[in-house]
Amino acid sequence: MATPTSSVPALRAVGLSKRFGTTDAVVDLSLTVAPGEVFGFLGPNGAGKSTTIRMALGLLRPTTGTVEVFGVAAADVERAHRQLAYVPADVALWPSLTGQECLDLLAGVGPGTDLGYRAELVERFALDPDRRARTYSTGNRQKVALVAAFATRASLLVLDEPTSGLDPLMEREFRACIAEAAARGQAVFLSSHQLAEVEAVCSRVGILRSGRLVEVAGLAALRRLHRAEVVADLAAPAPTLQGLAELPGVTDLRWPSPVRVELSLTGPPGPVLRALADADVAHLEVREPSLEEIFLDYYGQAGA
Amino acid sequence: MTTRTTPGQAALAAPRPAPACSAGRTATVAAARQVRRGTAIVAAVCGGMTALVVSQYRGLDGALGAESLAALAENLAIRTLFGPPVGLDDPGGFAVWRTGTVLAVLVGVWAALTATGLTRGEEEAGRVDLLLAGRLGLRSLTVRILVAVLAASVMVGAAGGLGLVLAGASTTGSVLFGAGLAGTGMVGAAVGVLAAQLFTDRRSASGLAVAVVLGGVLARMVADGVPALAWLAWLSPLGVLGRTAPFVDDRAALLLVLAVLVAVPAVAAVVLAADRDVGSGRIAGRRRRTAHSRLLRSLPGLAVHRIRRPTISWAAGLMSYFLLIGLLATSMTDFLRDNPSFAELAAQAGFARLGSVEGYVSALYTLLAVPIGAFAAVRIEALAADEAAGRLALLYGLPVGRVRWAATEAATVAAACVLLAAAAGAATWAGTLWVDAGLGLADALAGALGVVPVALLCLGAALGALGWARSAVLPLGVLPAAGGYLLLVLADTFGWPAAVRWWSPFAHLAAVPAEPWHPAGAVGMLAAAGLLAVVGCRRYSRRDLTA
Repeated sequence: MATPTSSVPALRAVGLSKRFGTTDAVVDLSLTVAPGEVFGFLGPNGAGKSTTIRMALGLLRPTTGTVEVFGVAAADVERAHRQLAYVPADVALWPSLTGQECLDLLAGVGPGTDLGYRAELVERFALDPDRRARTYSTGNRQKVALVAAFATRASLLVLDEPTSGLDPLMEREFRACIAEAAARGQAVFLSSHQLAEVEAVCSRVGILRSGRLVEVAGLAALRRLHRAEVVADLAAPAPTLQGLAELPGVTDLRWPSPVRVELSLTGPPGPVLRALADADVAHLEVREPSLEEIFLDYYGQAGA
Repeated sequence: MTTRTTPGQAALAAPRPAPACSAGRTATVAAARQVRRGTAIVAAVCGGMTALVVSQYRGLDGALGAESLAALAENLAIRTLFGPPVGLDDPGGFAVWRTGTVLAVLVGVWAALTATGLTRGEEEAGRVDLLLAGRLGLRSLTVRILVAVLAASVMVGAAGGLGLVLAGASTTGSVLFGAGLAGTGMVGAAVGVLAAQLFTDRRSASGLAVAVVLGGVLARMVADGVPALAWLAWLSPLGVLGRTAPFVDDRAALLLVLAVLVAVPAVAAVVLAADRDVGSGRIAGRRRRTAHSRLLRSLPGLAVHRIRRPTISWAAGLMSYFLLIGLLATSMTDFLRDNPSFAELAAQAGFARLGSVEGYVSALYTLLAVPIGAFAAVRIEALAADEAAGRLALLYGLPVGRVRWAATEAATVAAACVLLAAAAGAATWAGTLWVDAGLGLADALAGALGVVPVALLCLGAALGALGWARSAVLPLGVLPAAGGYLLLVLADTFGWPAAVRWWSPFAHLAAVPAEPWHPAGAVGMLAAAGLLAVVGCRRYSRRDLTA
């Protein structure tokens, strides 16, 4: 199943808020996920990621705002879920059913399943479908839900921390499945704690803090927005570089030795590069921040 | 600790905090905390019911004459359910006879369900693992929970006895009845903990424990109805409770038999808990199954799959009960025929044709509404439990509206209710056929099916609760049948106003097959059930789904 109408966003939330009693779980959240896009949804525990996802699935009713799946209101689940597959954060199965029966049920009631691909996924995820759900570990239950979701070929996959119980081998398989889904044109909305995973598979991320979306950007743009670490080794001491500190975006200027300068740079690197060009630079290293560093920038100091 | 320690040892030994109190004590407190709310409710019901009946009896001050009492007592439905009427001239004796069986069943079932919930339920949910990672072993935890539930039963029994005393009944009989009530609860609790050691899932354990408690009711009925099998009463806490005869003979020594009935399953439970794996029962179900059900490919298929086994178990229980009712038919009607004065009194009290087999079964069929209504409520409660356990997240992530799934489940439950009623009717007919009582199959079925509207009212109430008060699905769902029956019995006993009696669904139920079917009552109940179901489902589709 390919994307039905490419102009309609796979997922669109406008002014979405959810209040539980006196707690604001999600506040005025607006975001759009394009068809075919792999979108990472980041945030610490309790930031409101699952609440947002549950509103998008029609499991929770927004206090204010709207959320649509391919232009269909999330509350209209019979229509909206024809183009969607979901893996919950905590997969609970009926304990007496076997894994195979769970898969059959999800396929029989779901938005249409590629049974050949499903059989392949059962092999790849090393799932024993003859066991009763009662005997499955957390990771195995997650595998059942993942196999069912990836096999649907739905235009949007909504995955809520799907790999928290998977081992590294299965995690690699998961990343491969995301890549295959993206290649087929399926959009993926991936909520995760695993920053390396998001960095590896997502093209754009949204960062949630205390129920508020604090950033939505492409991964590359996000890195640009954040400090890069610049290290320059000089062939000879260059007193002119003392002026670097005054340049826009430069923070944390350090001179470990007279021939080595280190600095943090936010924003366009042009002025710094021009200044370095006048000096005798022997070696230049510009390191982009990892997603983890960006993430810690948002939460570490804020203490969220 | 030695006085001379190397620096490394000192670092290990010094900062270790002393535990605030023993691990076992903490577990006991935790278990007590979990049972206290249910204990308070059941104790209030026990104390309130006995006190109400005694004070009402005294308030009448003889207006409820011996004749009408006897007529009530010889209502075969009441006699079969409540046991032989003895000591009706005493307020305490009357209260025990009138409320004893109902309260004993309530306390026994509650204790059994509480015990399996605290043991197997907690284990199935994985919460026990965390606890057992501490200093406590499984056997010791099991003993602690057992003690907590036994103590809760004692408190409930004490409340029942206290209600009698406070309302003015004699102390000896009250204490004896309270002890009997407590003993019934303790048997339920011990059997519940034992069943939890046997089965891996809570539903099977609860099913077995409740079946044992209700089997006790059946054993008492058989013992009372068939002289050759009178010894069965000693195996049933209800039978022993009846034999102690509070307010009449006050045979306190028989409580020792009750103590044995508690001790046997309690000791067995503790022994079986000793060295089993946490998370699995002694009767381990199959872990793998290569034959997968073909039903599980559609919503109706899932609904049928879920209800299949419970329907069969409930049908087996109901059929054995009503087979017994059928088998006892002639002995009961013969009794009335041999004692025409009773039949005359009964007729004056409004029980027409009680001496006929039709009158007898129709009176007992009214009771059928209570278990079938409870079945409907339990099934909707299973849907609510699925929500609480997060099992619906995957299902509602599919193109499945909540109303569609709730309606599919409700339709399946309604069909199962009809099936259960028909099964009970057929069993009654088979019993009467055996003793040649002369009841037609059509009459037997019509009478049993006549109570279905009350069960559907329970279904409607449960769906209403699903929308508005998820945690109260079971009590609100059972209310129309159990509460309605109680209301009718009390209203009839004490001549409460018709406006109060009207609220019982049983007031609108005709005694089929003794009387013709009463369509207006059935239609009214179905309309109320439908309204509750629609309102509940609408709200269910719009509220937040919580896990």
